Amino acid sequence: MVFDGVHAVRDATFDLEKGRFLTILGPSGSGKTTLLRMIAGFGRPTSGEVFINGLAVGSVPPHKRSIGMVFQKLALFPHMTAAENVAFPLRMRRFDARTIPDRVHRYLDLVKLGKLGDRRIHELSGGQQQRVAIARALVFEPDLLLLDEPLAALDRKLREEMQLEFRRIQRELDVTTINVTHDQREALVVSDEIIVMDHGRIQQKARPEATYRQPKNAFVANFIGVTNFIDGVVASVDGDLIAFERPGLAGRTGNGFRPAAGVSARGALRAEQIRIGGGRETLGDVDTVFGGTVTDAIFEGERVVYEVAVPDLGGTTLRVFDHDPVTHSQHDVGSTVALGWNVKDVLVFGD
Amino acid sequence: MRPSRTSYPLSWRLMDAVEAVAAAVWPRSFSAAVPWLMLMPAVVLVGLLVLGLWDMADGSFRTLDTATFLPSDDYSLANYDRAFTEKLFFTVASRSLIGSLIVTVITLVFAFPYSYVMVRTRSAALRKFLLIALFLPFFIGQVVRAYGWLIILGSQGMVNEALGLVGVAPIRLLYNYPAVLFGLVQYMLPFAVLMLAPALTAIPEEMESAAGSLGANWVRTFIHVVLPLAKPGFIGAGLVVMTLSLTDFAIPAILGGGSQDFIANAIYDQFFRTSDQGMGATLALLLVAVGSIMVGVVFALFGAGTLAMGRSK
Repeated sequence: MVFDGVHAVRDATFDLEKGRFLTILGPSGSGKTTLLRMIAGFGRPTSGEVFINGLAVGSVPPHKRSIGMVFQKLALFPHMTAAENVAFPLRMRRFDARTIPDRVHRYLDLVKLGKLGDRRIHELSGGQQQRVAIARALVFEPDLLLLDEPLAALDRKLREEMQLEFRRIQRELDVTTINVTHDQREALVVSDEIIVMDHGRIQQKARPEATYRQPKNAFVANFIGVTNFIDGVVASVDGDLIAFERPGLAGRTGNGFRPAAGVSARGALRAEQIRIGGGRETLGDVDTVFGGTVTDAIFEGERVVYEVAVPDLGGTTLRVFDHDPVTHSQHDVGSTVALGWNVKDVLVFGD
Repeated sequence: MRPSRTSYPLSWRLMDAVEAVAAAVWPRSFSAAVPWLMLMPAVVLVGLLVLGLWDMADGSFRTLDTATFLPSDDYSLANYDRAFTEKLFFTVASRSLIGSLIVTVITLVFAFPYSYVMVRTRSAALRKFLLIALFLPFFIGQVVRAYGWLIILGSQGMVNEALGLVGVAPIRLLYNYPAVLFGLVQYMLPFAVLMLAPALTAIPEEMESAAGSLGANWVRTFIHVVLPLAKPGFIGAGLVVMTLSLTDFAIPAILGGGSQDFIANAIYDQFFRTSDQGMGATLALLLVAVGSIMVGVVFALFGAGTLAMGRSK
């Protein structure tokens, strides 16, 4: 789809099996919401087609598609009660009027709002409003459920609670779901599959573990998790193993990247895969060790985040997650430390 | 330590001086009185209006002495008796009341699509055009506009000339009830659009998308979602249009040509033609009463809409 000559979504071919929970993950402006709106029928792709149950729906208006959608700002109708909101799609889709109250009740129970049906929307809390929106989107048993970042505005605790609720309800009803978010944690928690988008293109489609462990490119590696990038020049390639010209630095090829010697490349290394200690003997079983100086130490409760400047890597600052479960010891800013990791955890990309 | 010149620029020093002067003239302890002080001009204006009404109420109980052309010294209900019994006043009153209701309905029907397009269009140029087209008539004024209609609709006007080209004999388009209503609708449309637009802006577009995805086509989306949510705007716009057209003077006078008087025209005649100030005052007070009752009824039935102000729930 093109807005003012800019492609919001450029190349987004993917398929989704019935009953799966897919999350489209990307930074703002990556085209994920545009993609969702095209699936819902609120915007037509400039080229290409959307298929639901094998049928092309490009020319079908939204109200004739069987799609339930939970909107970013929920879009609950303030002039109706919770139950009337849930009954709205049934009335619009001409369900048998006698079955409507029963069905509304069943779905309010499903989202644990059984007793609050008579409340007006503004009399409900943020979390309860979320639940009404979910019930309203599911009550007519749509083929597809779309979630357009409905959790973005909630505080962290409620958001994490609702993520699990989405997961529970989706499993209970076995409804095919596409969720859009910029929250990587949410994507990892709720999804069967994750699509990472950037600049209107799909960067990777994989299961959550695979997205995290085997990112297909530097963008995905950087967007999910906290990743250190170490730039260098390739010295030699041996199978999957890529050695850099810097002494002691090597990694594993990422996404089939097979550079020639002398080409510049970057190694991606997760912050939690680096061990930190006072000396190299404290690091245990690692095959790469560098010395550095702590430039910042941030206590985050369950972990300490260190910024460590490493002179042998051209002064690159590495971010390290550490938690010492026994002694709770912490390295002070300015102290000299040893960093260690394994070659297999450094993924080498060309970009 | 004195603040250095660079970190404390001249404009800040000037503001400090102004604040010091303000504090000397009006100490902080007086600050609770500031809102009341600012309210004073409005209170004075409304107070003067009430005084004037009081004076008119006094006048409305005095009949005109036809011998001296002065109001009588003694009080009576004769003016009110005339107002309720004479056929002329009944005709004028029902003409204005029915007219203002018809004008209100037609204006709201026309104003809704206009403000809807103005609020929802993605084209900034179209929105600008609609806004300018809306405000332009405000600069022209009611009387000039009414004369404009005389030129267009008169027996030798543009419309009749055009009809003449296709062989239709001139039609009398002016000086009748429909002409007055037409002029009023045209005059009221911008008011209604301006009152409706904020109410429509307050309806998130997502609401309409949501109604669509839940299975409502645009007609049902309009009936079940947009209309109920725009109700405050309709009430506010309806009240403004109704009261303004009920009390209008220029358009009935010019486009009605004296044959289609509204209440305001009758009041004018009493004050300035027959010089019966008592009767004029009586009619004016009755107009105030009728207008207030109509507004009161709408408030009681539908709430105050956008005119309610205050904090919404």
